[in-house]
Amino acid sequence: MIIIKILFGLAVGFLFGFILTRTGITKYPRVMGMLLLKDFKIMKFMLTAVISSMILFHLLGDLGWLQVVPKNLDWGKLVGGLIFGAGMGILGYCPGTMAARIGEGKKESIFAVFGMAFGIFIYALTIKPVKTLFLSAEVNGDISVLLRINHWFLIVPAAILFGAVIFFLNKRFSDNNRLQ
Amino acid sequence: MNFDNSKEWHWFKGGILVSLLSVASYFIFAAIANRNYPFGITAGFGYLAGKFGGLFKTLSANPVIQRFAMKPDAFIEFFTILGLIAGGYAASRITGTFAAEGIPDLWKRHHGPSLWKRGLFVLIGSVLLGYGAALASGCTTGNILQGWAHLSLGSMVAGISFFAAGILVARILYPRIRGEQ
Repeated sequence: MIIIKILFGLAVGFLFGFILTRTGITKYPRVMGMLLLKDFKIMKFMLTAVISSMILFHLLGDLGWLQVVPKNLDWGKLVGGLIFGAGMGILGYCPGTMAARIGEGKKESIFAVFGMAFGIFIYALTIKPVKTLFLSAEVNGDISVLLRINHWFLIVPAAILFGAVIFFLNKRFSDNNRLQ
Repeated sequence: MNFDNSKEWHWFKGGILVSLLSVASYFIFAAIANRNYPFGITAGFGYLAGKFGGLFKTLSANPVIQRFAMKPDAFIEFFTILGLIAGGYAASRITGTFAAEGIPDLWKRHHGPSLWKRGLFVLIGSVLLGYGAALASGCTTGNILQGWAHLSLGSMVAGISFFAAGILVARILYPRIRGEQ
């Protein structure tokens, strides 16, 4: 059983890393280009994946093949999100791309792996105050339950909105990164 | 200067393939870890932190250390990280873009070649990345690729926060960037 877990982890990671690198999502100027609002290839890639998997997840969920479990909202999502975003801006990549970059020969990302693990270690040390400050109250994360509507009334508008964003970005900005 | 992106896949192709991987792995994860668990990366780094924390007796009752050291998803995601390294290597060999690099070129042009300076920023950035991902219970993969697709309110807030803070920091680091089309 443990072998299956290891092989599954490796296989998912391999395919994910291959796609990220092959699509050019891991490049430092691309990530900075997105945060500087000059190069939107990553955004288009991400929103395409979100639209497609959003429809698939809920379709399969309705068929009873899997269960969609939305994450709840607490203050940790906002505060942690801002801390994470600051880290992403300073580093120029996020955790998944960090690992793929090591395979591409980007040596500094090796140090970032240990920094990231150390950040989680510090989180563990501060869990007591963090729990009372940010994680004590939470809101159900399922928007369709909150609004008491069928989830397809959210999926279709969300897909149209994300699609419109992709269409606009694609018209307005080229994928040729010219950051100097 | 400009980087070579002629061999890159189109964003549409990459996006569709990632969505298929994301949905397929969700299925298999449910089968082998006995729960629906979105695929992510953060818990894999948490596994390292959990094993490190396990070295200290005083931390044996810490809930975060325990969770990451024991739960099957952290164990699996640790191997996902190793897989990511191999995947990045394979793809960069195929396209011929594999190249040993210390500091990114763009950083060098704006902030100089100092290893100490970049090293300090990498250290601060990666620690913030780890802390933030743990607090927001997920990184870009868990909160956007999975969370947005699940239409979760928590992930919407987390994802928007990622970009809000990232855009601000990028502006501060590169106030005079040029890159008009």
